[in-house]
Amino acid sequence: MSYLESVTDISIADLKVDLMRTAYDNDNALLNTFDPRVVLLWTVLFMIIPWLFYDTVSLLVLLAAAFALAALSQVSKYLLVLLLFGQLTNIGFFVVMVPLMGGMLRGMGHLRANASQLIDGLVALDLSVFAEAGGIMTTAVGQGLNTALTSQEAGIEAVGAVVPFFLKLTIISVISLAVFSAMSPQKISQGMLRLGVPRQLTFAIAYGYRMMPLLVEEYHALINSFRLRSKVPEKKGILKWRYAYYLLKLSIKAFYPLIFNVAKRSRVTVEAMETKGFSQSLNHPTSRELRTEDMMIRPRDITFVFGSLLFVAGVWVFV
Amino acid sequence: MTTDSIIIDDLTFEYPGGDEPVLRGIDLRIDPGEFTAVVGGNGSGKTTLCKTFNGLIPHFFDGKFEGSVSVAGTETRESNVGELSRQVGYVFQDFENQLVQETVRDDVEFAPLNYGFEDYEQRATRALEMVGLAELEDRFIWELSGGQQHLVALAGVLAMDPEFVLVDEPAAQLDPQNAREAYERLRWLHEEQDKTIIVIEHHSEFIADYCDEMVLVSDGGVAWKEPSHVGLNRLEDLRAENIHPPQVTQIADGVPTELSTGPDDRYPVTVDEAVSALSPEATPTQTKRSAPDGGTTTTTPHSRSDETRPEHGGADPVITLRDVGHGYPTLREGRNQVLAGLDLDLYTDDRVALVGANGSGKSTLLRLLTGLESPDEGSVTVLGRDTNNALPEELADDTVYIHQNPEEMFVEDTVRKDIGYYLKNRGADNVETRVEEIISYLDLEELADRDGRLMSVGQQRRASLGIGLATDPTIVLLDEPTGSLDLQSRQEVTGILKKAESRVETVVIASHDLQLVAGWADRVIVLDDGDIIADAPPTTVFDDAELLATADLRQPQVVALSERLGFDSPVLTTDTMVEAMASGEWDGESPMGNGESIAHKGSETGTRRERQ
Repeated sequence: MSYLESVTDISIADLKVDLMRTAYDNDNALLNTFDPRVVLLWTVLFMIIPWLFYDTVSLLVLLAAAFALAALSQVSKYLLVLLLFGQLTNIGFFVVMVPLMGGMLRGMGHLRANASQLIDGLVALDLSVFAEAGGIMTTAVGQGLNTALTSQEAGIEAVGAVVPFFLKLTIISVISLAVFSAMSPQKISQGMLRLGVPRQLTFAIAYGYRMMPLLVEEYHALINSFRLRSKVPEKKGILKWRYAYYLLKLSIKAFYPLIFNVAKRSRVTVEAMETKGFSQSLNHPTSRELRTEDMMIRPRDITFVFGSLLFVAGVWVFV
Repeated sequence: MTTDSIIIDDLTFEYPGGDEPVLRGIDLRIDPGEFTAVVGGNGSGKTTLCKTFNGLIPHFFDGKFEGSVSVAGTETRESNVGELSRQVGYVFQDFENQLVQETVRDDVEFAPLNYGFEDYEQRATRALEMVGLAELEDRFIWELSGGQQHLVALAGVLAMDPEFVLVDEPAAQLDPQNAREAYERLRWLHEEQDKTIIVIEHHSEFIADYCDEMVLVSDGGVAWKEPSHVGLNRLEDLRAENIHPPQVTQIADGVPTELSTGPDDRYPVTVDEAVSALSPEATPTQTKRSAPDGGTTTTTPHSRSDETRPEHGGADPVITLRDVGHGYPTLREGRNQVLAGLDLDLYTDDRVALVGANGSGKSTLLRLLTGLESPDEGSVTVLGRDTNNALPEELADDTVYIHQNPEEMFVEDTVRKDIGYYLKNRGADNVETRVEEIISYLDLEELADRDGRLMSVGQQRRASLGIGLATDPTIVLLDEPTGSLDLQSRQEVTGILKKAESRVETVVIASHDLQLVAGWADRVIVLDDGDIIADAPPTTVFDDAELLATADLRQPQVVALSERLGFDSPVLTTDTMVEAMASGEWDGESPMGNGESIAHKGSETGTRRERQ
């Protein structure tokens, strides 16, 4: 257990640093070197493009390209693993869910076919009819179970049907992960500001980035505070599920004080914003211009957009 | 008459929904070129008063506003916060929440950009140079230390080039070393950049060292405005507002008057003044040499150092650290090794103070003792249990850790529930009785039904001690128990610490507060760069000027004074000092030699850049 403890301990600190790196260390990220407007528009474009493909292989090629982009954008490996885990369990869920639903439908079907007998029996309150009704129920359950257990193939077929859909979703998720973790918040808000997004929203993005590490630290401190004052379940259960459940419960509980503390912080922040002339800037054209003046679309931005579109066209034609 | 001043004329203000005015009939004038401290007890209205200078009152908080406030000829009521902020820059007490952009430069440029100044880049560059942060301009705000963040907030204000710079309680959220650096920076702005500086402050020693003028706010009115050395001599007024005069002033007030003649017939307020007022040359009647060394009476400073650490004999240590190394991964600099090769034994009845510069590993050491973190190398044993093999929840049976930021300790909506939280979770018997007992033991009755997170820091601190003691611990670990407390609350916390001793075996605090350490601890462990550089009784540690300088520590006034007056070993509390002086049993030989070395050290630590 000591080994396990130390591993979980290190990984929390490492996890934090890794997430910080994803969110803040953008200096070498490919996407951060382009004009933010171009990247934002490119993102919108690539939210649509996967939906034009139906072939699994082409989608896989696109997905591989998206992962390459994510790697160049230094996306946290933990986040990618989490995303993949989510998608895979979703697919796995289908393998289980489809036969189950099939079984249930089958059982319901049998019940419905014999509905009149069942109702007759219940209305008549006759023992013999009761027995008959019981028989019908048992048969229904048996048929349902049988279907559920024998129709794995149907489940796998269903997965085949949804795989392209999941691939599309994954491509979009990976791309947006890459874009938003690669671009510095300042660039994102600059780009949005220039594209006409209201300043309040662009400010909120930048502010969110500013406060996030603080909240992560505070959240961690709150969980620790809960831990020091709670009792671990005496029996840890199989695979320590009780212990895991206990930690999960704590981590949810810790959100309430966190939200409270955030609200408290924001009182000072709004006052400070006022003294920094934020409300004056909202309708100040010079302010907006100054904020976005150093943006420039250069040949490499154009190359990037057309290069990626060419790639997509290539996939369309050849795969 | 210049029109550049802040002039307040018969101002009365009442918050919306308030029962009575917070400010009543205030007349005040602050002229350009002043370095003024606004002082007052908690709830006296000093912060409210200062928020009228930049128009937050009445524009942001609209209440009943009568009378007038004008800043450089502009009536604040006719202007707005944005415009007034170009004249009056405001650094909030809670400055961390004042920083709203992610990198240093962005934050400093934020205000100039909002006003649409074409030269925003030059403004930011200049402001960053003024506070000495030019090299950190691309850093993320959250990477910086508290002291650096305070400077960023100051730079953000300076980028607007205001005439008045208002800083709300710089010493409250910063440790003493950083607070002093902040004051040095303000002094520089005042002297070299001709800024008018206004601080809200209740640490009278900072006022004595840095401020020219002081304004006492009492019960919603301005009681007086005086030059600071005059104001600090109005002991009655200050005490009525729970503001403690500088230690040297208290000493001068305590000793017979013929010993404490100062300049202009007043008490000294700085160590320098006290040395000339209290030194043997100034009081030639005094005969010395009668008591050449420490064995005189119990009133001499030696009484404390003589009671050496209790011999532990064969007793087993309560806490053992063997060859402990620990570090954290960082974003830019790889792994940051905080502790390295540390060995330490703590025994029953030890009153241990961990001291050291920021980043020297004090908090990390405490967290290792809780088991929340396991050491990368070596072993930590607490009450016979290896923390590697125990969950923090299990160690918490006997060990309680009180967080540096008491806010993180409140998880329920009343203090009473918070105190009972642990007991209830552990299925303790008669939880209610035990909670009540703690509440009355620590005099928390009036706080018991309030939400801990909405109380003042001082109240939070007291309540968090209650939460800790409710668990009936054997070991209490406290991280900065007097951080960001005013002096009144500090005394209360010290009182609670002393009470706690009767219930627990070992108390370990990590602290910057040397007054607390001097008055409370019997074993001081000085950490530097993750290793122990001294482990001795307080008198020994305070005697070693070089050691203190290495650890970024500053002697309390009373210790510095005793050293410069030629006491053989440092005096730790004002009471001891007064007794020693009154009895005349001290050796006043060659005070100046020591004095010079202290002064030199002071300037050296004053300019030391803080650690990352």
